Amino acid sequence: MIQFRKFALSKIGRIAPRYLPFADVATEDLPLSRLLRLALFQVTVGMALVLLVGTLNRVMIVELNVPASLVGIMISLPLVFAPFRALIGFRSDIHKSALGWRRVPYIWKGTMLQFGGFAIMPFALLVLSGYGEAVDAPAWIGLSSAALAFLLVGAGVHMVQTVGLALATDLVPVEDQPKVVGLMYVMLLLGMIVSAIVFGALLTDYTPGRLIQVVQAAAVITIALNILALWKQEPRDRTRANSIAPVPEFREAWGVFVTGRNAIRLLIVIGLGTMGFGMADVLLEPYGGHVLDMTVAQTTRLTAVLAVGGLAGFALASRVLLRGADPIHVAFWGAVVGVPAFGAIVLAAPFHSVAGFVLGTLFAGFGAGLFGHGTLTATMRNAPREQIGLALGAWGAVQATAAGIAVALGGVMRDLIVAMPGSDAFAAEAPYVPVFALEIVFLALALLVAYPLLRRLAGPEQRAHYVSTETTDLAAKSVP
Amino acid sequence: MSDPDKIWPTGLTEREAEEVHSYLIDGTRVFGVIALIAHLLVAVSTPWLG
Repeated sequence: MIQFRKFALSKIGRIAPRYLPFADVATEDLPLSRLLRLALFQVTVGMALVLLVGTLNRVMIVELNVPASLVGIMISLPLVFAPFRALIGFRSDIHKSALGWRRVPYIWKGTMLQFGGFAIMPFALLVLSGYGEAVDAPAWIGLSSAALAFLLVGAGVHMVQTVGLALATDLVPVEDQPKVVGLMYVMLLLGMIVSAIVFGALLTDYTPGRLIQVVQAAAVITIALNILALWKQEPRDRTRANSIAPVPEFREAWGVFVTGRNAIRLLIVIGLGTMGFGMADVLLEPYGGHVLDMTVAQTTRLTAVLAVGGLAGFALASRVLLRGADPIHVAFWGAVVGVPAFGAIVLAAPFHSVAGFVLGTLFAGFGAGLFGHGTLTATMRNAPREQIGLALGAWGAVQATAAGIAVALGGVMRDLIVAMPGSDAFAAEAPYVPVFALEIVFLALALLVAYPLLRRLAGPEQRAHYVSTETTDLAAKSVP
Repeated sequence: MSDPDKIWPTGLTEREAEEVHSYLIDGTRVFGVIALIAHLLVAVSTPWLG
């Protein structure tokens, strides 16, 4: 009996930790399989984005007959949380937990928010559309619950992506960061493409029951993939868990973050470039259809062309960055490629050249890939080791806000020009050309702002100097 | 095994175990509220009582 007890004890003692979500040690080299597993959180982010912006957008307008303006407002609600990414990232930097974790608790909370939002979303949408007995219910129930669902999912997505990227940056050595950035972008794209196809196929025969099944399946897949992504990834840090050093305030940490390292300039470049590349996203397909008389099948393939261009951009950026290229240079050349690409798209109308338009789209995607990869890698590389969450939060805040504003601005500009009195007399391309021209302007501005960065961050020893002064500065501030 | 703070069988200290437990409690509360809202919304569109 005693023998058995001893045997059981030793067995359980050895097995139990295997079933706990802790990383054994902070291993020096991170196998690619573990990185791929971590990148699964980007798949759930992509899935949430497609569901909100693509699938539910259509279902709400076409099947549920919700007014388009209300749908637009609901879908843009998550954007409210985008600026808070910097704060979330900062909180995860200074998070103190007995377990010695700082990223996992936030990714877990974000996952729960995403799950909760998806869990109530289908019912909220059905009530919003006045399904069944909900016709007689007061309107505020549907409105507030749908808004709550979108806000929960949006907050969850921002949280998971910000802190997930910070965790990935924590785990890999500096020279491997380009690989991680490429992987993260590819997984996001993969999640979006696969879920768009799957959701589209599942919702072709729409029924309310099917809507509930699809959205709640997305909720379960989100939580499953995120647990899989998190499992045994973050090493526990006992010294951090037991440290009693006072933590800096957000304002203070931000002040340290923005001084010296051109952080603000880089953020402006990210904002301008993202606006420049993002405005046309929703206008390329109608432009091809209205102006160049492309068929629906052809315009749908445009999205694929844009994605292929983006993938090529990520691949090239990863390659040259791993060989030691400067990320700012890569981003700069991405914006440089974008200018003639949008020029080709504009010129496609007078020449009525579908080939020129498709080629322009391909290179716009390629430039966006280079630009996105370069700026994110630059953000990771410039971030002081204990401000990674804040740096990536600031990146995400600027990037998500700029992308949201860009899409809205592009759509509003097009609609305003269409609604102008006497707009029938305009050429078919009139509503689109100003948007594409504005994108070129934004890219040119981004290039202008980025130009000084090219020279200032030229030497690696100079960059190392910046980082080291910042870290000592922060350390000096956090010690009383 | 030499650390007296550690709790069998996971090897967590008491403080760590309490933190794990707090995630469980928070999770239960959040999911409880979410389930409540979901049930209310279903009741509004397809009432199953009365």
